[in-house]
Amino acid sequence: MIDLSAVHIDYQTVLPELVVTGTIVVVLLLDLVVPPDRRRWLAVVSVVGLAIALIASIPLWGQHRSAFADTMAGDSFAAFFNVLLLAVTILTVLISPRYLRCVHLDFGEYYALVLSAAAGMMLLAAATSLMTIFLGIELLSLALYVLCSFSRLQEHSQESGLKYLLLGGFATGFLLYGMALIYGATGSTTLLGIRAFVTSSPGTNVLLLLGIGFLSVGLAFKASAAPFHMWTPDVYEGAPTIVTTFMSVATKAAAFAAVGRIFVATLPSLEAQWYVPLALIAVLSMSIGNVVAITQSNLKRLLAYSGIAHAGFIFLGILPGTTDGLAASLFYIAAYAAMNFGAFAVVTALDAKGEHADELTYWTGLFYRRPFLATTMTIFMLSLAGIPPTVGFFAKLFVFQALVTAHLWIPLIVGILTTVISLYYYLRVIVVMVTVPEGAPVEREGVGLPMTVVVGLSALGTTVMGLVPQVFGWALQATRF
Amino acid sequence: MSWYQLPATVPWLTIAVLLPLAGALLVLLAPSAARSAIKQLGVLTTVFTLVLVGLLLGGFQQGTAGLQFDEHHSWITNLGISYHLGVDGLSLFLLGLNALLFLLALAVTDPKMPRFKEFVLLMLVLEAATTGVLVALDLILFYVFWEATLVPLYLLIGAWGEGRRIYAAFKFLIYTVLASFFMLVAILALAALNANQTGTLTFDWSTLVQHPVTGSVDVLGIRVGIQVLLFLGFAVAFAVKMPLFPVHTWLPAAYTASPVPTLLIFAGLISKLGAYGFLRFNLSLFPDGTRSAGPYLAGLAVTGILYGALMALVQSDLKRLVAYASMSHLGFIGLGIFTQNLLGVEGALIQMINHGVIIAALFLTVAMIERRAGTRDRTQLRGLEQRAPLFAALFLVVSLAALGLPGLNGFVGEFLIMLGAWSRFLPLAVGAGLGVILAAWYVLRMYQGAFQEAPSQPTAFAEARWTEAGVLAPLLALMVVLGVSPAFFPAAVQATVQAVVSR
Repeated sequence: MIDLSAVHIDYQTVLPELVVTGTIVVVLLLDLVVPPDRRRWLAVVSVVGLAIALIASIPLWGQHRSAFADTMAGDSFAAFFNVLLLAVTILTVLISPRYLRCVHLDFGEYYALVLSAAAGMMLLAAATSLMTIFLGIELLSLALYVLCSFSRLQEHSQESGLKYLLLGGFATGFLLYGMALIYGATGSTTLLGIRAFVTSSPGTNVLLLLGIGFLSVGLAFKASAAPFHMWTPDVYEGAPTIVTTFMSVATKAAAFAAVGRIFVATLPSLEAQWYVPLALIAVLSMSIGNVVAITQSNLKRLLAYSGIAHAGFIFLGILPGTTDGLAASLFYIAAYAAMNFGAFAVVTALDAKGEHADELTYWTGLFYRRPFLATTMTIFMLSLAGIPPTVGFFAKLFVFQALVTAHLWIPLIVGILTTVISLYYYLRVIVVMVTVPEGAPVEREGVGLPMTVVVGLSALGTTVMGLVPQVFGWALQATRF
Repeated sequence: MSWYQLPATVPWLTIAVLLPLAGALLVLLAPSAARSAIKQLGVLTTVFTLVLVGLLLGGFQQGTAGLQFDEHHSWITNLGISYHLGVDGLSLFLLGLNALLFLLALAVTDPKMPRFKEFVLLMLVLEAATTGVLVALDLILFYVFWEATLVPLYLLIGAWGEGRRIYAAFKFLIYTVLASFFMLVAILALAALNANQTGTLTFDWSTLVQHPVTGSVDVLGIRVGIQVLLFLGFAVAFAVKMPLFPVHTWLPAAYTASPVPTLLIFAGLISKLGAYGFLRFNLSLFPDGTRSAGPYLAGLAVTGILYGALMALVQSDLKRLVAYASMSHLGFIGLGIFTQNLLGVEGALIQMINHGVIIAALFLTVAMIERRAGTRDRTQLRGLEQRAPLFAALFLVVSLAALGLPGLNGFVGEFLIMLGAWSRFLPLAVGAGLGVILAAWYVLRMYQGAFQEAPSQPTAFAEARWTEAGVLAPLLALMVVLGVSPAFFPAAVQATVQAVVSR
């Protein structure tokens, strides 16, 4: 019998996660009694729960708490990611009911699964132990496996879920094996313990390096970074668009939270050892993502490859191994969340009509049919391409600045060259949208108030986030561990 | 001295940037069908901007080198990025050219064109961006404005252009963005080096100017001064924008594909932004780098003069002919800049204004010819002089200014540049002189071919309308005024230029 009385449980640290978990239970129970045509109330309950969790995250800002014997942290870093992840989840839930009704997937479990995934991501962002990292990853992955195959009658969706499950399971194996090796090498599962070991015995420890290598494979898989990105286009394409919207942004953010905690906060002294593999991942992601995206004619696949490329850019900020570099990555993640969520939300809005919206040909002349969606999509594309004054430019600027300060020229050059390449396919989307359509113009129709608000908010965030200096200040403060 | 004093508490330059944006916002809210209202809105916005810039021109303290109408606020303090706007002799008259050309461009925009509202909207956004480029003094802020000009230009060519417009727009975009990234790296490196030297990270031009970077690094085993490297990083971006030979290949495609109002801005103004960048950043921040690398760029500039002139000689399409003529004249500006002496740089500054005025007028008249005759092929036009004598006279003045006839503005700039080049690069000055002779050849042949001789076929060719003459009038007036009293410019800009070349 283990004596748990000595374990200090700090409820404030885990309050956001607790609230989200509680909401899962409430939603599941409510699902039993809410009549099918009132299921949007589940969305309302979810949003309320998520909003409370968001408010509960804010007091963590500026604190240095830890709970459950140093396995979870309640600090600015966790608060930053909690707010980001919860905001993304709230926006997702807001645009879900209409989409789910349109594609006949209006089931209560959907909300419970999205909330579970969110809880897992928050756990991952706060995790300071190999065990909690694993818990977080599994919680978010299991929920997403189901969500990807949520459209039960669509073969595409089933294929997507299965692919994600099989490959994801494989990656988890790597992750777990790496954790075992690290534990074997250092004798500790908490990041604090590992850090203490690494600083006290500076020699080369093959077991530890192998463990870190395997661990990064698992995390790079979740962040969909090359060369572990193969699943991304297929899964993104097959999954219901709303799920893709959510996971493309939130999963990546959560995975990078763990990457930041492990590499920058725990292992900065081993930077010389992990620099080359991580730089390879970054360079490969940017190159493969941006080059292959050129050939895509399906918008969901195009955005999948673009997401792979952006994972590479986010890795760039990790490379210097400094908290300033990590702050640039954090800003990039927030920027990516705004612009990529917006872009996928536009696809979702068009998909909801049961149209084949993900084929690029469908977007011909969108400006004349859906001026609002086309205009916002233009903003998102410009931002993803990194053109000022959108936030995408500032994100790249801060990351490049970190590389220049650290004199890391080769990743910088690759980053710049691939940015230029990426212009081609992002701008092609805009050109397609302004091309005059053939045949009779289709009637304009609305997309509903929630979608208008959510897309509008994303566009606003994409436009002003870079111009408001405080955001980068927050990213800097979040990395003061 | 200045003609009057403007209150210093008003953020004049911010207003100058925001005014076109406010106009764009109003256009955005207007219904697409209200074409004449949109046109009036667009023209009025540019008129207000021109009036504002005119106020600044009069309120500018002449004879001082420093920045005026200075606005300095902290922005992203953690990275030393600030919001810094200001005007000095380098940017003053370009601001005026900017405002004037946008007014003319919107005045000649045809309200019956497809998607007129979006066109006006993008033009106004473009004006805000180009104004920002001219007044921004923080390197990151400058970069933001610099890149922000690209998207409107890209869309204006891509969606409203003619011929191979998508190809031309893409080619222009890829060239300029790729080049701009070199500048971005140079900006970041410059700030990092400066931070090593002084201990504070800043992107503020006025601070960086006071601490020129020193030292050298090994690049592939060759010892290169850091200033030279940074100089090259900036130079690539500006050379492509200008464009200098051999990175000019996007120019003929883009100029030919541009709709006329955009072309006025493109040829008249955007190319000057490249030249302005050279003056503002390369010469000021890297004086040693300019001394080492400048002669090579001056050589490229003269190559461009001769290449553009030779290419202009063999064109039969008037629009392409003027495009190459423009490139040839831009070579003079490049040559003047890299002489790095008072005469040359002053000449370049004057020539920048002249070139904007002359090229805009040339493209406007070519567009008028095309609208009347249905073609702009030099070989198919003949004897227009007899049908439209007034139009021919207008065209002749513009042509003579283009070939640098004394008494018109083209002569002043070219003469000063040649004087400046004579004392520093004698062989290059001779080459540039050859370019002047070639210019006379292709310009006069263009005039003779299209306007003189007997008309070949009895096609109708209408006389110049009052509206057309009205659009050309300010440009023609400028040609004469600047040609007759060129001393006006040097007096206003001399102090700044002196400060730049004596670094």
